[in-house]
Amino acid sequence: MLFGLAAVSVPIIIHLLNRRRFQKVVWAAMRFLRISVEQNQRRMKIEDMILLALRCLLLILLALALARPALLSSASDAFGQSRVTAVVILDNSASMAVTDGAQARFEKARRAAEQAIESMPAGSATAVLFASDIVRGAIAEPTFDLNLARRTVREAPRSDRATDLFPAINKAIDILQDRLALRKEIYLVTDGQAAGWAQLVDAQQALERVKSEIKTHIVLVSEHEERNIALSGLRLASGLSPAAQPLRFEVQVSNFGREEVRNVRVGLAVDADPPSDEFTIDSLPPGSARSISLFAKLRSEGFHYVTARVPDDRQPADDRRTIAVRAIKEVRVLLVDGEPGAEPRESEVYFLRNALVPVPAEQAESYFIKTSTVTTPELASARLDDFDAVILANVPDFSAAVVSRLQQYLRRGGGLMIFPGGRTQIAFHNEQLFQRHQLLPGAFARARGEADQDEKFSVLQEKDYQHPLVALWNDPAAGNLASARFYRALPLEIPAPEKTATRSARSQDAGEPEIILKYADGAVAVAQRNWGLGRVLLFSSTADTAWNDLPVRLSFVPLVHRALGSIVQRQDEGLNVRVGAPLFRRMSTELLEKEAAILRPGHTEALRETRRVDLVNGLPVLTYDKTDFAGGYDVNFADPPHTLKFAAQSDPAESSMDELTTGQIANLKTVANVLTWTPGFTLKGVVERGRTGVEFWLPIILGALMVAAGETFLSQRFSRSK
Amino acid sequence: MNVVSRPPPETLLDPEAISKAEALGLHARYVVEGYMAGEHKSPYRGFAVEFAQHREYTHGDDTRHLDWKVLGRTDRYYIKQYEQETNYVAHLLLDGSESMKYGSGRLSKLHYGKMMAACLAYLILHQRDAAALGLFDTALRDYAPRTDNKAMIHNLVARLAAFEPRAQTNIGAVLHDMARQTRRKGIVIIISDFFDDEQAVLDGIQHLRFGGNEVIVFHTLDPHELEFPFLGLVEFEGLENVPKILTRPSEIRKSYLREVEGFCARLRDGCERNHCHYVRVNTSHPLHEVLSAYLGFRLRTTTQ
Repeated sequence: MLFGLAAVSVPIIIHLLNRRRFQKVVWAAMRFLRISVEQNQRRMKIEDMILLALRCLLLILLALALARPALLSSASDAFGQSRVTAVVILDNSASMAVTDGAQARFEKARRAAEQAIESMPAGSATAVLFASDIVRGAIAEPTFDLNLARRTVREAPRSDRATDLFPAINKAIDILQDRLALRKEIYLVTDGQAAGWAQLVDAQQALERVKSEIKTHIVLVSEHEERNIALSGLRLASGLSPAAQPLRFEVQVSNFGREEVRNVRVGLAVDADPPSDEFTIDSLPPGSARSISLFAKLRSEGFHYVTARVPDDRQPADDRRTIAVRAIKEVRVLLVDGEPGAEPRESEVYFLRNALVPVPAEQAESYFIKTSTVTTPELASARLDDFDAVILANVPDFSAAVVSRLQQYLRRGGGLMIFPGGRTQIAFHNEQLFQRHQLLPGAFARARGEADQDEKFSVLQEKDYQHPLVALWNDPAAGNLASARFYRALPLEIPAPEKTATRSARSQDAGEPEIILKYADGAVAVAQRNWGLGRVLLFSSTADTAWNDLPVRLSFVPLVHRALGSIVQRQDEGLNVRVGAPLFRRMSTELLEKEAAILRPGHTEALRETRRVDLVNGLPVLTYDKTDFAGGYDVNFADPPHTLKFAAQSDPAESSMDELTTGQIANLKTVANVLTWTPGFTLKGVVERGRTGVEFWLPIILGALMVAAGETFLSQRFSRSK
Repeated sequence: MNVVSRPPPETLLDPEAISKAEALGLHARYVVEGYMAGEHKSPYRGFAVEFAQHREYTHGDDTRHLDWKVLGRTDRYYIKQYEQETNYVAHLLLDGSESMKYGSGRLSKLHYGKMMAACLAYLILHQRDAAALGLFDTALRDYAPRTDNKAMIHNLVARLAAFEPRAQTNIGAVLHDMARQTRRKGIVIIISDFFDDEQAVLDGIQHLRFGGNEVIVFHTLDPHELEFPFLGLVEFEGLENVPKILTRPSEIRKSYLREVEGFCARLRDGCERNHCHYVRVNTSHPLHEVLSAYLGFRLRTTTQ
């Protein structure tokens, strides 16, 4: 900005140019003129010089003022505290809900942030950021309206999100670095939860880089909290969620405190009902987690909230956990028998049918899974839409018309399970269904093993079940998948994940193939692929005992049920989201362009938000991203009447009560002023003491104004005739 | 450049000025020594209408003028003498120096002076007095000898029109020459801006007065010279070969006006000490107003 000093040459140049611009007059009365000029020449020259000097001085002062000179070392407040440009970062993550019995951390944080804003001298500007796992710019650019900033802080909402302070710090630095201000400050009001400082070193380095320019105050509002019992997990353990059947839910309870906790009563309730099942954990050592199974019945078909509870402690945010579950009335399965055999036991689908309806024949009528069996030729005329899933067992091939009907069926949300067998036309599957129509998640590889021997066999993987469908067997108590012997199999070849550039070649309906289960040697045994709204599961061996003995193993029933559940609940997978993660739900076409009213947990009816079902990639999708709170969200469509429930669950890591260690705080102190705030603590004095540097632009501008006034006065006076 | 080019002769005679001036006339304030009978008081005694005194008869006097009544009573020969009236010779002296070329408006000072000289000459000849015309700068450049022939006005006007200024002024020397050359008392009319050494001018005027001449000074000045209305930065270029001056005139106006006023006042004082009429002529004023105002004033104050 000191380039402005070059402007000093302007009056000099004007002066010199002016000397070249004059009027010429031929004059007779030169003698009087000469006398007058001789009398006045000296005075006029001096006056000219004075005016020139004043004008130069004026420009010098203006240039200096614009350059905003500052004396960094000066702590003088002679001209009042120089204004500050600040960013107030308020941690509004779930851990801020912890109370000390009287006041939540967040209350204190708001008060501390308000004090920080109040401590700013007049003329300061501040931005306000809310930091959790995302940074929300409540006031994204510094505003001079400190009242607005104060109100924003006072009315700041807490969220159930996790914490990550580094992006907020980065954003604050970005905001401030563009500013031409002498005093730049960051106020980070947070609890000292270690989980928020995952990138502590990065944050420290970022602050170190700007240390000379930006002063950072980290205000810690927490008091130590020794105990915290949290519900760190809740999920439906049953493969299917039929109405009026007892469903198993897996509840994980963690002790994030530092002491052992005894007699933790865990309850499970459906919707607003009283707890339907309870369990008391005798002892939970510090730092441990325990999974328990609790049962609940969903009374009616449709959406329900299932909520697990532990007794309230000082962190109320994680003492309950809610998931949304859609109860189904019945599941109809179409079994396509590729090799019916002479008698029922020889049927290809015999074991499947029994596994799907594992009840005595007299109860089969009332069981929620209904099966129908057709042969391969009958597939062409079957009404696929009457069924929730279609299982092809040892079906050799089918016509193109059937392929396109299957595609229609899948697109609308149907499920397809394919078991190979001796009759299976491998070429048809690989070329038509996999390559051309991309229905299958993978291709059949060369067959291995022989069916008519029992010495050589392969087994399924024994542990490390990654896919949720089979995660159950990570618990040895649930049985063992690896006990089954596979004498012959057609291992699957799963294409490597494609690059986005080549994705366009793929049909829009076909999803990414996923591996569910592998053989012990790593070959893929079961894989799936989402297709349209539906899902395709591909097995690598027969559904009967022709190639393996899996159907007679105990784990066959849960595996088939879970596979079926995976297909049926395909649509409902997105119902449970992490707090902060958006809900994307594909809706039926008649709801396109319709408004949904969304009720957030803990909010009243009046605060319903509306969202429109929009076309995303040509499909009607409901998007909702303000899932800041854990709990159940009600979605209602007025016309046509439609109800949907979904739930958000908070990140278990946020329940951790681990605080920054003394060493970490000491590290932070090298780059920031770390303060511990307690009610009654006044931030103002501490902060003001740290503010050094005075901007001199105000006195300089005043000086410039005085020079300008003097210049005007003198030039008037000098140009008066003498 | 406000220097006006040479005017055509016929424009020099301003009809309005002449018609007004004719009515007023230009009478001699003091006795003049004309060479023929006229309307003005002469220092000589003669034989005219108005009795003046008696004188003893001497040999050779015309007996027609003997006062017979006195002879009858006292037997002494006395001759009656009467006031003789005569015409005058007016010398019109016009400054033709380069400084007279200046004119801010339509007329330069010289043009104005030429018009004034032409009108006065006409007036003087018209009332059967004689007029002589002299144009000078450092010395007399052009001189038309006295004439009382009205027809000679054309000659005078042509001379005036033809004159072009060339040099600086030296009024004093010219006036001294004039005073030495005029043998008879008459009227000397000086039209000039007197941008010269004022003491020399006054000395010359005094010399003329000493010779018994009446002197009328028409101090001709341009309005710009009297008001100095310039603004901004101005370079003044002298007409009489002096260095240029670059200045901001608005800032020195007061000082300049003080100088001009002082000069005029000193000139006027000097004229009044010598019993001369000093008339300041602003060339922006119409000639007929200037002339009639002066001639009216003169008529009121001159005792016949």
